[in-house]
Amino acid sequence: MLELLHVTKSFNLTGAAEDERIALDNVSLQIHPGEFVTIIGGNGSGKSTTLNIVSGSLIPDKGKVLLNGFDVSKIPEYKRAAYFGRVFQDPMKGTAAEMSVLENLEIAYVRGRTHSPIKWGFSSSHKKYFSEELKRFGLGLEDRLNQKVGVMSGGQRQALTLLMATMRQRPSEKVIKRDYVRFCEGNKEKAKVEVETAFELAKENRKNALLRVKKLPKEQRKARVEEIKAAYESEISKFDLTKQILLLDEHTAALDPKTARKVLELTNKAVRDNHITTLMVTHNMKDALTYGDRLIMFHLGHIILDVSGEEKDKLSVEDLLKMFEEADKKAEQ
Amino acid sequence: MEFVDIIFNILTMGLPCCLLALGIFLTYRLLDFADLTAEGSFMLGAAICGVMIYNGINPWLATLAGIAIGFLCGTITGCLNRVLKVPKLLSGIITMTASTAIAYIIFGMQNGYPKAFGQSVDFGVTYGGAQQTIFSLLYPWKYSVDLDMYIVPAIWGDVIKILVMFGVVAVVMIGIYFFFGTQYGMAIRATGMNESMARAQGINTNVSSIICVGISNALISLAGALFVQSMQNASVTSAQGYLVVGLASIIIGESIFGKRSFKNWIISVALGAIMYYIIINVAIRLGLPGELMSLLYASLIVVALCLPLIKGIIKKRIKERRNRLEEEG
Repeated sequence: MLELLHVTKSFNLTGAAEDERIALDNVSLQIHPGEFVTIIGGNGSGKSTTLNIVSGSLIPDKGKVLLNGFDVSKIPEYKRAAYFGRVFQDPMKGTAAEMSVLENLEIAYVRGRTHSPIKWGFSSSHKKYFSEELKRFGLGLEDRLNQKVGVMSGGQRQALTLLMATMRQRPSEKVIKRDYVRFCEGNKEKAKVEVETAFELAKENRKNALLRVKKLPKEQRKARVEEIKAAYESEISKFDLTKQILLLDEHTAALDPKTARKVLELTNKAVRDNHITTLMVTHNMKDALTYGDRLIMFHLGHIILDVSGEEKDKLSVEDLLKMFEEADKKAEQ
Repeated sequence: MEFVDIIFNILTMGLPCCLLALGIFLTYRLLDFADLTAEGSFMLGAAICGVMIYNGINPWLATLAGIAIGFLCGTITGCLNRVLKVPKLLSGIITMTASTAIAYIIFGMQNGYPKAFGQSVDFGVTYGGAQQTIFSLLYPWKYSVDLDMYIVPAIWGDVIKILVMFGVVAVVMIGIYFFFGTQYGMAIRATGMNESMARAQGINTNVSSIICVGISNALISLAGALFVQSMQNASVTSAQGYLVVGLASIIIGESIFGKRSFKNWIISVALGAIMYYIIINVAIRLGLPGELMSLLYASLIVVALCLPLIKGIIKKRIKERRNRLEEEG
């Protein structure tokens, strides 16, 4: 669960007291695992600031960001990237233009692990996996793995960034252990013992199974080894609590309407298929109502509307506009 | 014979500058960091290596010390920029100024203590004085005690020099190619291209840029160390102005040999340095006075920068002409 606790953030470019602008004013928010939240609001209402505070690009003046009850406010942006996938408004911002599609994907795949200075950056098994994932997008990107991202259209780049934000290799065992203890609810000591024993057991099982493989005839060995490895992986992955959270900052705003629709459909599909917790900032009220299962409206640094389920389904664009106007009037008074 | 002389001249100057150009390429092109430290680290590399050799220390050790001092200069620039948030250009200037001052002191330390500031280090390859270079260590020839020097047949000393330097350049190029293909190397390249993307993908961009600037300056001062050993002489003045040489090499290399892939790009940059010295040498043989050399440098850079444009125009013309011929049948 992702929580914002009494977060306040103000910007001041000149240092003079009258230039201070409050972007977020004591905002608290709880987002449950698997929720798809859409966020709307006028310019300067604090919706993008919220995303930037969650991802760590901005440090809040006051308040905390909690992930499963663990305070991540002090963790720097690059380390937090292990838990958050991001797509930016500017298609240029999410990918490295002078690198190939494959290189971009390889970099994203290691997110949350250390980028090794010895390990070669490419692997054929990754390549196969990437092209399968890209094929599901239906944009023909799977045949253009070696092309530079710079030559692609905004829509293709956003789709690629979306894939980069939603997939990643499982973290290293050390990190899984650490995060299991960090993010578990309840007794930390007990969790530590639990994860240690489970890992020992899995390793022991793998070792014994591999010993038994040697007795098998040669042709069966390879398949059996693969099986054992897969079993071990699934055993380890059970303890990987850090499910990805997707942060979308107006990611279709710079695209033409048709491409925007396509990218939104892809987003929706990726989110629903993988049950990813998602925060989507958008300017388009219709999109905010069509997609997602919870809607939050920001106004001048406050949350003025937070609806989900049936209540959200009943809302129309006109209702939302009316609410905006009322909020504006109130602020003027 | 004069022709051979010219070629040897080009290669003995050009090969160390390949390393210089590759070093500058890492920051200027890959990291998008106009790093002026290069000037200082080249000079310091030459100073440290030269003075250590003059004082009788093993040339390999002296070369390593040169590399280390360059890496240090680079990390200082990187830290100034990344940790203390000094602007890129300014942090380069700061380290450059400081290291030039240190180079002055080091050049004066030829008898183990600062003797005179800013003099030149000058050593012959001798055995008795134990002044060897990494090249003379590999000489297969006899050492004459009477003359206190190696008896080297005509041009063969230069051949050894060139072969060794070529080996070093080749190793460095292969090293760069493989390092920037690893996960961390790709992370560094991503940092240079798009920092917000790099951070969003979990790369500590501060550390990766500092490391890249460090490696770059290590290569540059290795170039300085090879330069002083190949010339057997260096001073603050003779080791000056190499930043421009490196930049010009990169631009010339890119515009002549292209940058289609990473491999192609590295080779182009290295060949650019050789190309640069070919042009300079030809100009000297044609009788260009030394005073006008800087003018030649400037025009070279302009021409190199315009070359892609000219190439494009020529290609267009050829295409138009071909189309016209086809129409006429």
